[in-house]
Amino acid sequence: MQPRRPKLRHIGAPLARKEDRRFLTGHGRYVEDIEIAGALHACFVRSPHPHARIRNIDVQEAKKAPGVVAIYTGKDLAQWTLPLRMAPPIDGLLPVELTTLPIDKVRFHGDPVACVIAQSRYLAEDAAELVAVDYEPLPAVANLAQALAAGAPKVDESLPSNVVSVQRFSTGDVAARKREAHKLVECQFHQGRLTHLPIETRGLAALWDEGRQHLTVHIGNQVPHPFRSQVAARMRLSESQVTIVSPDVGGGFGQKIALYREELTVCAASRQLQRPVRWREDRMENLMASSHAREDSCRTRAAVTKEGKLLGLELEILEDFGAYCFYPANYLARVVAMILTGPYKVRDYAFEVKVALTNKCGNGPMRAPMAITSWLVEGTMDAIARELGLDPLQVRRANMVETRELPYTMPTGEVIADITPRETLEAAVKAMDYDGWRARQAAARKEGRYLGIGFCSVVESTTYGSKFYKAAGIPGSGHEAAWLRIEPSGAVNASVGLGATGQGYETAFAQVVADGLGVEPSQVRVQMGNTDIAPYGMGSRGARGGTAGGTAIFLAAREANEKVLAIAAKMLGFDSAEGLHLVDGRVEREILGERSKTDITLAQIARTAYLDPTALPAGMAPGLDFSRTYDPPPMTYSNACHACELEVDVETGALKINRYVVAEDCGQVLNPIVVEGQQHGAIAMGLSGALLEHMRYDEDGNNITGSLADYLVATSTDLPSFELIPMHTPSRGNPVGTKGMAEGGVMGAVGVIMSAVNDALAPFGVVADRQPLGPDYLRALLRARANSIKRK
Amino acid sequence: MKPAPFRYHRPGSLAEALALLSQLGDAKLIAGGQSLAPMMNMRLVSPAALIDLNGIAGLDGISERNGFVEIGALARHHAVANSSVVKTHCPLLAQAAGAIGHYAIRARGTLGGSLAHADPAAQLPLVAATLNAEIVLAGKRGERRIAARDFFVSLMSTALAPDEIIVAARFPKSAPRERCAYTQFSRRTGDFALVGVACTLGSDGLTLGIGGVEDKPLVFADFGTTDAASVAHAVRERVSPAENPRVPAVFRKELVEILTRRAIQQCTSSN
Amino acid sequence: MYEFELKVNGERYVVRAEPRKLLSDVLREDCRLTGTHVGCEHGVCGACTVLVDGKPARACLVYAPQMEGHEITTIEAVAKDGKLSPLQQALHEAHGLQCGFCTAGIVMTFEAYLKENPRPTEAEVREVLAGNLCRCTGYHNIVRAILDAAAKA
Repeated sequence: MQPRRPKLRHIGAPLARKEDRRFLTGHGRYVEDIEIAGALHACFVRSPHPHARIRNIDVQEAKKAPGVVAIYTGKDLAQWTLPLRMAPPIDGLLPVELTTLPIDKVRFHGDPVACVIAQSRYLAEDAAELVAVDYEPLPAVANLAQALAAGAPKVDESLPSNVVSVQRFSTGDVAARKREAHKLVECQFHQGRLTHLPIETRGLAALWDEGRQHLTVHIGNQVPHPFRSQVAARMRLSESQVTIVSPDVGGGFGQKIALYREELTVCAASRQLQRPVRWREDRMENLMASSHAREDSCRTRAAVTKEGKLLGLELEILEDFGAYCFYPANYLARVVAMILTGPYKVRDYAFEVKVALTNKCGNGPMRAPMAITSWLVEGTMDAIARELGLDPLQVRRANMVETRELPYTMPTGEVIADITPRETLEAAVKAMDYDGWRARQAAARKEGRYLGIGFCSVVESTTYGSKFYKAAGIPGSGHEAAWLRIEPSGAVNASVGLGATGQGYETAFAQVVADGLGVEPSQVRVQMGNTDIAPYGMGSRGARGGTAGGTAIFLAAREANEKVLAIAAKMLGFDSAEGLHLVDGRVEREILGERSKTDITLAQIARTAYLDPTALPAGMAPGLDFSRTYDPPPMTYSNACHACELEVDVETGALKINRYVVAEDCGQVLNPIVVEGQQHGAIAMGLSGALLEHMRYDEDGNNITGSLADYLVATSTDLPSFELIPMHTPSRGNPVGTKGMAEGGVMGAVGVIMSAVNDALAPFGVVADRQPLGPDYLRALLRARANSIKRK
Repeated sequence: MKPAPFRYHRPGSLAEALALLSQLGDAKLIAGGQSLAPMMNMRLVSPAALIDLNGIAGLDGISERNGFVEIGALARHHAVANSSVVKTHCPLLAQAAGAIGHYAIRARGTLGGSLAHADPAAQLPLVAATLNAEIVLAGKRGERRIAARDFFVSLMSTALAPDEIIVAARFPKSAPRERCAYTQFSRRTGDFALVGVACTLGSDGLTLGIGGVEDKPLVFADFGTTDAASVAHAVRERVSPAENPRVPAVFRKELVEILTRRAIQQCTSSN
Repeated sequence: MYEFELKVNGERYVVRAEPRKLLSDVLREDCRLTGTHVGCEHGVCGACTVLVDGKPARACLVYAPQMEGHEITTIEAVAKDGKLSPLQQALHEAHGLQCGFCTAGIVMTFEAYLKENPRPTEAEVREVLAGNLCRCTGYHNIVRAILDAAAKA
């Protein structure tokens, strides 16, 4: 049963963030800002080879260098830590295992082979240069083609080949639909290799307490409790012996979830040395060796009618997962395949998802692991329109689910409900003045200016419930946990098991508690990130914070409200709390719809609960302390439509975005300022990846993107202003009505930019099918086309 | 990313700096440090000693004399870009200096540092070569002047002797009716130019400097025409960029042609 | 080791450090002013931007002893008597920051720039802001905040 939803006074208010002041004045506390007396500094020696056998590691010279305390290699770490075994019972996924540091061979350029611990980072780097590693270089697998070639060198020798996962699915009869179809439309999509690039790189400080046999780890992390479980298990400690303290975090975007090998090494070093040890990854390491993302080659085949209606659909995904599996290798691409069809109707559907290992840095989830989804389906819609000579909007409208058809079951069994894709599409179309736009485009082309318009509808899977994980064969739970304590003074402390990296939880959740309990947001302090304080939650990943975390904390606040009002009733001499409300910390009484204030405040109630328990209703336990967990529905979806107008300078290949519009429905908004900020950020990350970012390796597997002069992220002059159209309608799936958001912006941006670029390039008869959309790539397309026309 | 150890020297005079430079074997001069410090932090360069020129007074002047705009080696890009003397008498230089890196980089980076670093894609070497500025070098035996076109030898390599210090550059003042334009193509604001084009149109016709394409700035003149399209095509045929995995040679050639054409059009259309 | 004196936010600090120590590290470790953040150590991200004699500089591209005799200003000195500067206040109101890691560098850059150009256009703001990477905000609200701060000044 869902608790009654109170009238919202604070949820949805544009409250400026509580967090800001400390960040604006330089008083944030990020890991590296925490002063730890006597701390030693770690520096890793990294492989210059993409693939090589380690014959010997000679640390003698390095050990003599000034300030060096210890140097550890894979063999040392193997004594003190357990390997990571990634072997969830999933059909089509092969189990893999990796040691804390490599012992026999390195698998990518940047792989850590030894850890130098010294008095300062400067001295540690000096010594690291003296560690002599004798490598026997091996042929490397630098890309998917090489990985899948017959007789390819094996990245992981325990596997039969470089293919670590293959999953196939089919429903209906796609082959029959292909035979019946007016046309079969086939498209390709290539998404480049990216990395998360939080402005704060990874880092931690590990403090082993020999007396208490306890490890405290200060680390910017998105999932403090699951992270603690990992640290404890790999160090053969109990979870009672490990505390994770995640202070302010300078961005995560998915990079700060896994327990990385460097982090475990630093924890083990602290225990061995019985000294605090800290490590701050530098930017070169972050680019080469933290975690990468994306790099997929995909193909869709759509069987369509003359009118562009989808009869059947096939999808192939081939993903380059890098050298190591810090996550189950199937899971990122599998979600894409499961939710591919989004707002579009089709019954007959089949997919094949294949994931291969290569000699590159390992992949992980990056803001919108399913980023490519909307590009795949919207790119297919655009291709259908192109091949059938139809208007791209007409094709979208012909296939999009109607509001009256909701809830609609996707061919994979995923159910979409409470979403408004038709409404957001039409709002975006209207905002762009699509009808008048085509005339402006034609006029511009006459002047030699190539404008393009694109649309991309997004159905974002935001919040994964436990049932989804189970059904998808992904290990993990989707529940979240919260507690709330009203202190004897009436001060309200609350916590949730998420990990903040800039989402404004301290503000938005104070608003949720304020409404759930009946206080002002200013009275609520949200305490997060310390595993001794926060409840065991699943942390921040996907876009689950608002819905899983927000609901958990709301439910805890509702429980608190109930007890508080029961005490108030007793204090007022009533038999029941019927008609009582707590509003901004004061009890009000409602009689025949009229509210009147009473003299009772939350502070008085709290004092009674703690200090005068005999005055409580009979049988009530003293104190005001509440815990709740919440498992959301299998999947919560939100939706949006992105639209963009751009101009391509066909001479240079440069691209300029003139307008960017998003109509979005993410359900009940907790704080519109925060939501808008998340929309901006997600779009920016999508556009940056689609236009600029590219983590490159050469043909031999050497990383050639070692600095921020090579890995290009969008600056303020690369991005437009964003026009947002809020169209939020509450979800019925949870008591607050949220639907979640913050990744869909990436999905929409990745898709809409392709739609618009291909619209601009239409007169040239070329189709861009890969990212990033660099000027060299666009020029290559146009040049090849011009040359082929010349030859004819 | 911490630099290797070095001894630090901060001479108070040019003479002291020159003496240190010849005494110390493995020393590097540092001025703004905007190119050197990243290389040192990455340990691509690890000099045993660093000689900091910032303590030398009087090396950052900007003045106009005898048909030249003379700019001290320690003048910051931001000062050059915003100097009324430079804007009036050498507008090409002001434009190009304003296109270097970002605001904070321009606030520290120096003219002398950029010339000495001799990155073939950098703005100031390109403008110096295009205008054939004189670069003033100080050594133990006194000063010498060298034409910019002779100063840049190849990739990050110049005619500067190991015991010399750049003290100034003298840019010829633009003639009263001379026009100029600077265009560059870079992936993002502040990135190194894939191609930079500096163009002047004076009584003796067009002069075109092309940066970012070969191992030093290229200068072309004597086209016998100011027709943008034909000159641009001719320039394209005269450059031979190296293949590069990021920037294919053919793309750079295309950029050379387009940017050249656009720069010439700016010169011929402006009043 | 090298002993030198730094003047930061009007205070004198006597620092004993190797000459190679980056200004960013000396500010954070020796002066205990951790508001200056380190994001790339090669001058690209702009997170460590401080003011040297009122002009912006990447603290990661300066070796600390080079700063003897100069006045350094860091983020800790921008708010006066607990009151946010107009730029800080505008960033707060326009939600111009999320994780906050790049914020100090942006504040320092524009504390300097707005003195030089008090009424910039959006294009000028975007051009200068291009020297500071932010991975959270997409810059939209930062640009708005800077323009708001300029309009109110």
